[in-house]
Amino acid sequence: MEVLFFYLVALVAVLSGLIVVTAKSPVNSALALVNTFFCLAVFYVMLHAPFMAAIQIMVYAGAIMVLILFVIMLLNMGVEPHKKPTHIAWGAIGGTLVLLVSILFIQRGDTARAVGNISKDVVLREGHTALIGKAMFVDFLLPFEIASILLLVAIVGAVILAKKEV
Amino acid sequence: MENLVQMALQNVNMAAIMPSLVLCCFGMFLLMINVFMPRGKTTAASLISLLGLAVTFVVTLRAWNHPELGFAGHVALDNFATFFNVIFLIAAFLTVLMSDDYLHREGYPVGEFYPLVLFTTAGAMWMASGTDLMTVFLGLEVLSISLYVLAGLFRGQLRSNEAGLKYFLLGAFSTGFLLYGTALLYGVAGTTNIADIGFYLSAHGKMLQNPMTIAGMLLLAVGFLFKIAVVPFHMWTPDVYQGAPTPVTAFMSAGPKAAAFAALVRILILGLGGLQADWSSLLWMLAVLTMFIGNVTAIYQTDIKRMLAYSSIAHAGYALVGLVAANAVGISGILFYMLAYTFMNIGAFAVLVLAGKQGEDNLTLEGFSGFGYKRPFLGVAMSIFLFALMGIPPTAGFAGKFYIFAGAINAGYIWLAILGVLNSAISLYYYLRVMVYMYFREPQEDYGWVRMNPGTVVSIVLAIVGVLYLGVVPGKIMEMAKMALF
Amino acid sequence: MQDYSLIWLIPFFPLVGSVINGLLGKKIKNEKVIGTIATGAIALSFVVSCMLFFRLLGDSQKVHEVIIASWMSAGKLQIDWGFLLDPLSGVMIMVVTGVGSLIHLYSNGYMHGEEGFYRYFSYLNLFCFSMLMLVLGNNALVMFVGWEGVGLCSYLLIGYYFEKKSAGDAAKKAFVVNRVGDFGFLIGLFTLFWALGEHGIWTVQFTKIAEHAHLLPAGGAVVTIVTLCFFLGATGKSAQIPLYTWLPDAMEGPTPVSALIHAATMVTAGVYMIGRMNGLFAMAPDTMMVVAIVGAATAIFAASIGLAQNDIKRVLAYSTVSQLGYMFLAMGVGAFSAGIFHLMTHAFFKACLFLGSGSVIHAMHHAYHHAHLHDDPQDMRNMGGLRKKMPITFLTFFVSTLAIAGIPGLSGFFSKDEILWWAFSSTRGGWILWLIGFAAAGMTAFYMFRLVFMTFFGEQRTDERAKDHVHESPFVITLPLIVLGLLALVGGWIGIPKALGGANHFEHFLAPVFEHTQEMFGIHSQHSLHAYEFPLMGASIGVALVGIFLAWLMYVKNPEAPKALVARFRWLYVAIFNKWFVDELYDGLFVNATKRLGRYCWKGFDLPIIDGIVNGAGWLVQGFSRALRFWQTGQIHGYAMTMVIGAVIIVAVYIV
Repeated sequence: MEVLFFYLVALVAVLSGLIVVTAKSPVNSALALVNTFFCLAVFYVMLHAPFMAAIQIMVYAGAIMVLILFVIMLLNMGVEPHKKPTHIAWGAIGGTLVLLVSILFIQRGDTARAVGNISKDVVLREGHTALIGKAMFVDFLLPFEIASILLLVAIVGAVILAKKEV
Repeated sequence: MENLVQMALQNVNMAAIMPSLVLCCFGMFLLMINVFMPRGKTTAASLISLLGLAVTFVVTLRAWNHPELGFAGHVALDNFATFFNVIFLIAAFLTVLMSDDYLHREGYPVGEFYPLVLFTTAGAMWMASGTDLMTVFLGLEVLSISLYVLAGLFRGQLRSNEAGLKYFLLGAFSTGFLLYGTALLYGVAGTTNIADIGFYLSAHGKMLQNPMTIAGMLLLAVGFLFKIAVVPFHMWTPDVYQGAPTPVTAFMSAGPKAAAFAALVRILILGLGGLQADWSSLLWMLAVLTMFIGNVTAIYQTDIKRMLAYSSIAHAGYALVGLVAANAVGISGILFYMLAYTFMNIGAFAVLVLAGKQGEDNLTLEGFSGFGYKRPFLGVAMSIFLFALMGIPPTAGFAGKFYIFAGAINAGYIWLAILGVLNSAISLYYYLRVMVYMYFREPQEDYGWVRMNPGTVVSIVLAIVGVLYLGVVPGKIMEMAKMALF
Repeated sequence: MQDYSLIWLIPFFPLVGSVINGLLGKKIKNEKVIGTIATGAIALSFVVSCMLFFRLLGDSQKVHEVIIASWMSAGKLQIDWGFLLDPLSGVMIMVVTGVGSLIHLYSNGYMHGEEGFYRYFSYLNLFCFSMLMLVLGNNALVMFVGWEGVGLCSYLLIGYYFEKKSAGDAAKKAFVVNRVGDFGFLIGLFTLFWALGEHGIWTVQFTKIAEHAHLLPAGGAVVTIVTLCFFLGATGKSAQIPLYTWLPDAMEGPTPVSALIHAATMVTAGVYMIGRMNGLFAMAPDTMMVVAIVGAATAIFAASIGLAQNDIKRVLAYSTVSQLGYMFLAMGVGAFSAGIFHLMTHAFFKACLFLGSGSVIHAMHHAYHHAHLHDDPQDMRNMGGLRKKMPITFLTFFVSTLAIAGIPGLSGFFSKDEILWWAFSSTRGGWILWLIGFAAAGMTAFYMFRLVFMTFFGEQRTDERAKDHVHESPFVITLPLIVLGLLALVGGWIGIPKALGGANHFEHFLAPVFEHTQEMFGIHSQHSLHAYEFPLMGASIGVALVGIFLAWLMYVKNPEAPKALVARFRWLYVAIFNKWFVDELYDGLFVNATKRLGRYCWKGFDLPIIDGIVNGAGWLVQGFSRALRFWQTGQIHGYAMTMVIGAVIIVAVYIV
């Protein structure tokens, strides 16, 4: 039952992903993206990560999507004019190659093993949110702090590149 | 809850991140004071950043032979990291020295340039000292994002825009490979700690040949090889190097390349040492391809910045030879080579900064006609750097190539060494052509007034001292490079 | 045990001179000061060289290594900045600093008033420094530093007159061809390094290489490849077939440079290198044979080209190539000390010849300048009869010409004859090698005397307006000529062979370097052949005299007679004196044929084939380069796709 549900949601996720890149109107793209985000949140729930699911919906489907829609409206982007697809041959070759290698990989792959300390039992015992907190502020404290510098650099960079005069 | 705070504090070891911490403090301080600085005045900012780099240099040197670990195995300030940190600091120092006048001259006195250089350097430090794939990845991102901005700094110039955008798009693309590889390795070993991955793989030998492990290793390598500019992930290099502001190009060709090497060496040797047979055969092929394509394409360039871009591709190939050898001489050879390359390449770009005049319209071969006689000091300096890049003794380039090829021979890769020497012979052609123009051609037009500003001249002199010191008495530095191995 | 720790001063003085003139020369401006600094620097190192050389002469131990500082260490390999003083390098430093000092002195006069006077002396000092590093280095890498350094200085000095495009092109050609050789040198070095490393010996030090060379199988593929690679390096630096083409072009540089670098010292570096690694070469008989054949072929080939040249410096250039061929012939048949002996005597007489030609060119140039003419001051067809105008130049030039032609009693005779004798009698030689050398000796005598006759004898063919402005050169120019002329006269007396009642001091002196090798591999002149020594010597004297006689017949006796004139009077002369018949016979059968051969070799082989190969390789690389450039479209999709395809291929290869 769970597997069936997974495949159903996965199908929706992939289809909305496709719509994101193929839709002519940017608003349609954005809405399809929201759909994908929701599907991902469902996966998190299925993986016993409700906190992540909530964050996914609040931050991505909520805040970030609103920003994207704002930008679309501000720029007044219309329907993308039909353009002749260039480099289609390259795309086909590349895509085929990636597909072939993926098939090979899946054929020979051996991924049916779970390793690591944090098993389902541990999650159920200690609590999902506490574990995330511990991972972030104890185990991955340094990357977390570096990420703040990363964001600072990104903001400074965006301002430098975007502001009108030096 | 208190329990958690205590656990967090237990892991904190500020000494292990001290150099990058100092840099970040200076960076943020500069961001703040830039707000109060009059517009277009950046000299103070450049001086403060020089001070910051000097302070960090002292802090870094104190860490030599005093390894520090910390943050739950995320960072190790060992000699390996310290050696690379010194390289980054030198690269940043030389770059900042030549930047102030250049930015004014080109009409973009952006105060934020300096903090960005400091953050880039800090990012490079996290890459070199990171012992966890997450730390390395975030370091790489800090470094990359700062560089994207620096490359596109000249907003009014199309080629600078193009450089920034291309670097950004392709860099983001390569980050995808890197993350994919990280995820696969995490899937295999259940950890992102590099040493733990190594322990896991040596304890579970059959996992070594699992396609997931190999694919993870390969994709991870692709991410770093992109930054190093190894064929076939090199194609961004010429466009970005040519378009970016010259000091940024200088920095880009030395600092980030060394950082990517540092991370690659640590991951491949410590984490994936069990797969050495696989990655060294891969790198063998890529090294040969990179040397040949870099050198051969460089022959056809008429723009000197672009030529140096291809030359930097070729030099990445030489350095890879040391990683293929993967023995003590080869790896310490990489460390030495990166230091040598920092001096010679940044030196060459510093000459270009002065030769370029306003608007950089002067960087073609033709523009260098008779340069050696019009500007004797710059001519001699450029010749020294070119000789070093060619690998002619007694310059740093020769000593570096010698160590790397000696490492390859020690490891039995005699053919690789021969191909390397053959490539040095090819590379002669295009380096020499610059000298032919400088010394054997009549000047096309009067050069007029090239502003010999003190910062750039100091930077050139320092680079000359470095190139000659490393070439004539490389023994001491090489000893240090050996002590820097894990 | 004597003290040799001052040896570092020998290269140090010229380096200091070079740095001073290079950095401050433009400010100093005063030619006297610049010239004194440069000449003084090399003269000081000559003094130190003399001191150490005579100390070495009196020392019972002949091989000394002085380590100055550690340079590099890689794994078990330790490389030092170290010097090696033994009889071989002792001879070399005497030649380099001695001849170098004279040429510096000469340059003071010759380069007077040239723009960039300081630059010239800075380069020249730098050259001496590099050359001394080359000969004194105690390991292959210090030698390589000098090896590259002399190449660089040669490049800078050939291109000294950079306003002339031909000078720049010649400089570039020299550098590139040399780098082909250097590539061989490095490959040889790395292969040797690796091969010895297989036996646990990591070294590039000459004494250690010699000590451990026996670990490699004698005559095996490894030794043969290593020595062939080194020999490729030597052919580049010493202008042997197939890499000789740069040397004649190198005459674009100032004449003292041609004398010092392209005759006396740098071009002999290849010979020196083989001498330095004699143990290794002796282990590879195949390589030795190649060396001997290439040497002999170059000797005769270049000599034949020399027959057809009219530019005074070009004749000397081809002559240098030819004489270098003799030295390689000597090395190839195992006559190491004979090769070095010829290297030394050649340095004397060829330097004298070049400086003499420089004196002539200087005078001609001066005369044309006075008369406001733009004729070529180097064309011998415009000269003639200069012996009365320039007596000192003529006399020294003549002595040196006698020496190179192999007239008994002069330096060249002893050294050349020893080489020919070894070529004939050595266990590694053969009569055919002797025959080639013998023929080349005849040609040498001919073209050298042709040069002397055309330049100094007969009618003065200079333009009337310039004729009277030709004067003898000043004392700074003639003094070095006199000293070198004297050396060309007596320099060979230290190596008079036993057969002529001498003691061959030179060979004894060099014995510590070569004797061991020669004994170990049984290289010696065969006793059964000793009866031929005097007849062969007589033959080579004879062929030299014939060459001189022919030159005399054609250029003095029958001066510049147009062919038509000769043809008209031929019947009369044939009928009465029968003398012209012989002349014409020689002319038609021997001289013209050789001349034609020379012209063919020059135009037919040299230009299309060698240049074709060089250009072809360049074209190939450029074509490849162009193809790669089209790949670099600037389109970001293309770049990204390249990355994807690259990654996919890599992953596919490793997972399959």
